Amino acid sequence: MWIPFSYALRGLWQRKSTTFLAVFGLGTVVAILAGVLALQQGFEKLYSEHGRADLFVFLRPGATGEGDSSFPLVKAQTLIKSVPEIATDDKGRPLASMECYLAVRRFKVEGGETNVPIRGVQETTFDLRGPDVTIQEGRRFKPGADEVIVGRSLLGRIRNCQLGATIWINTTPFQVVGVLDSEGPFASEIWGDFNRMADALHREDPNRVIAQLQPGVDAKAFALKMETHPEVPAKVQTEREYLSSQTRALSSTLKVLAAMLGAIMGIAAVFTATNTMLSALAARTREVGTLLSIGFRPIAVFLSFLIESLLLGLLGGIVGCLLVLPIDGIRTGTMNFDTFTEVAFAFRITPEVLISAVSFALLLGLLGGAWPAWRACRLLPTEALRRR
Amino acid sequence: MDFLTLTRRNLWRHPLRTTLTCGAIAMAVFLVCTLRSLVTTLDNSAVASRNERLWVQSAVSLFVSLPQSYQAKIEAIDGVDLVCKWQWFGGIYIEPKNFFGQFAVDPEKALSLYPELTVTEGSKEAFLGSRQMVLVGQGLVDRFGWKLGDKVPIMGTIFPHPDGADTPWEFEIAAIYQSSKPNVDNQMFLFHWDYFAETVETASGTAPDVGTYVVRTHPASDQSAIMREIDTMFENGPQRVQATTESEFQAQFVSMYGNVGFFVSAIGGAVLLAILLAALNTMLMSAREQTRDVGILKALGFSDGRLFAYMLGQSFALCLVGGAIGVSLALLLEKGISKAFAAMLPNYAVIPQTIVLAVGITFVIGLLAGILPALRARAILPVTALSDR
Repeated sequence: MWIPFSYALRGLWQRKSTTFLAVFGLGTVVAILAGVLALQQGFEKLYSEHGRADLFVFLRPGATGEGDSSFPLVKAQTLIKSVPEIATDDKGRPLASMECYLAVRRFKVEGGETNVPIRGVQETTFDLRGPDVTIQEGRRFKPGADEVIVGRSLLGRIRNCQLGATIWINTTPFQVVGVLDSEGPFASEIWGDFNRMADALHREDPNRVIAQLQPGVDAKAFALKMETHPEVPAKVQTEREYLSSQTRALSSTLKVLAAMLGAIMGIAAVFTATNTMLSALAARTREVGTLLSIGFRPIAVFLSFLIESLLLGLLGGIVGCLLVLPIDGIRTGTMNFDTFTEVAFAFRITPEVLISAVSFALLLGLLGGAWPAWRACRLLPTEALRRR
Repeated sequence: MDFLTLTRRNLWRHPLRTTLTCGAIAMAVFLVCTLRSLVTTLDNSAVASRNERLWVQSAVSLFVSLPQSYQAKIEAIDGVDLVCKWQWFGGIYIEPKNFFGQFAVDPEKALSLYPELTVTEGSKEAFLGSRQMVLVGQGLVDRFGWKLGDKVPIMGTIFPHPDGADTPWEFEIAAIYQSSKPNVDNQMFLFHWDYFAETVETASGTAPDVGTYVVRTHPASDQSAIMREIDTMFENGPQRVQATTESEFQAQFVSMYGNVGFFVSAIGGAVLLAILLAALNTMLMSAREQTRDVGILKALGFSDGRLFAYMLGQSFALCLVGGAIGVSLALLLEKGISKAFAAMLPNYAVIPQTIVLAVGITFVIGLLAGILPALRARAILPVTALSDR
């Protein structure tokens, strides 16, 4: 016969203050892990969710990112004109754009310095982006003019980014004429006209080309073909693949950090859970003796104690999730190790975070409860009954 | 039976519980020490740098280099003693995770610029002797098990080898240095600018630009005036520059890490809260079991104050032992952690202030966990306590 579930539940309820402290202790540990994971999720999703699968990024073969990629200008122009797979608009112009890119040094409003990506784009870029990139305030820069638009996330964080301000790029002053809005990482960038940027930076060669492909083109085969293209070899990826590849270093660092914190604080939490369950056992030794002597099998006692401990863990997990929930949506900024630029994003409590948090909490309960439950089921009824 | 023996016996009434609580406190204190040390190491890399060194870099971007012609122009400035090229190479040794800084420098000038570098094996002459020779830090030798005369292949990612991107650059270890100051990286890999420039020119057809110039000023000169003069000199291009002191130059990289300090403090705070709850829980359990004992002691004539101190003492003892284990763990594992973080954060160290902080924290936790049971022990009437079962 099994011991009813309510016995375990009542066990926790009976010792409210101990249960309360243990649950909050476990909850805090779970919240730490969940908080770091929420940071990682916010960062990674910013890139992975906002990269498009129907937009293609062309880089120099062997380049890992647009920072270290570069096409000679002539080759990039040839690529856009001569690759038949690139889609065209209703007037027959290729739907492709050259972009130059550089992480420039900027000063933060709060003091200190950071790197902000600056992007020179051609007009087609806005056609390619469509509703993904909008102007929140002001207007777009005019082609050929020394004007820029700044990403929404830079306002209030980086100096000289408000509408009407002047941004110096090397020796050229650019006027801020608009605020760019985008859900993805572009909201942390400064955009200007390709030719003007290339001129100001003394870099005539674009870093990358972006393009849409003709309907029906097989992306994988096309990428393979471009790798060994006789004239203009290029590394081709979808934008989604490209952006996801730009999150690896920081993402894995945060995951390692979460694992380390989880392991160290997890040990401490298991010790605490064990203590709590041992004291529960001490308080109920006579009860356990009674249960065993009236015929409950040791395995039933073992499971009952384990369930009580798992419940403790579950409650801790729920409290941890509740504690960490308020940080969802809080905006923060951090250095992306892959691009060496600062990117703004919000903490995200995704289902993955909650599932990891609750599983972690259950694991703590399981490990913490195992030894006390074993002790409970090994008690001799006669001895247990004699204790006071 | 004296006070200490009583405390020890009472704590040892439940050896397992006390050990586990101590263990939990130790883990938390260890974690707090380690997190704190990461922050102090990051901050310390930016302080106490030698003042006569200035760094000249592009004012536009870390990824933009300066013309070679700038060197002679800076040298001509009054008060400038020496100008050395300092070029980030960014190559890969076997695999990307073996990250460390390789720099192409003017070898003789670099040595005179950095008196903090003491050559411990090999010799300066051997390093200066031929173009493929390198001077490496003791930290790298420890990491990779290198010795004098070893050939080190480095894959050029920014600067591909003329024979193709799959061919590594070849270097030979001529000398090993030990850095005498914590703010000077002991994991640098310094090689000859001439070798670098000629190889790059063979590969790309054009002579390379220079990432940064390190400038030494005369001790008597006005540094801020020199920095202003350098900045003004190139104000109209072709590349605008920014001259900074060495500590500012390093602080700039630390500030690029952004909110790391804040995140770590937030995590540390949560860790402490968790452990405070654990210690409190143990103290409450233990106090509840000792209610009768308290009654007996009071009946025997021990004062309320004495019992207050006795209960608080147990909490302190529990937390301090745990804290001591935690701090010892942080110190014991310092070397290992330093090795694990070598690529990202060289010179990881647990500084004395961190230990003081940890001990302080342990005291506070001991106080907070013990105060409630101690107050209860002081207030309870002997007769109530004795009737507790």
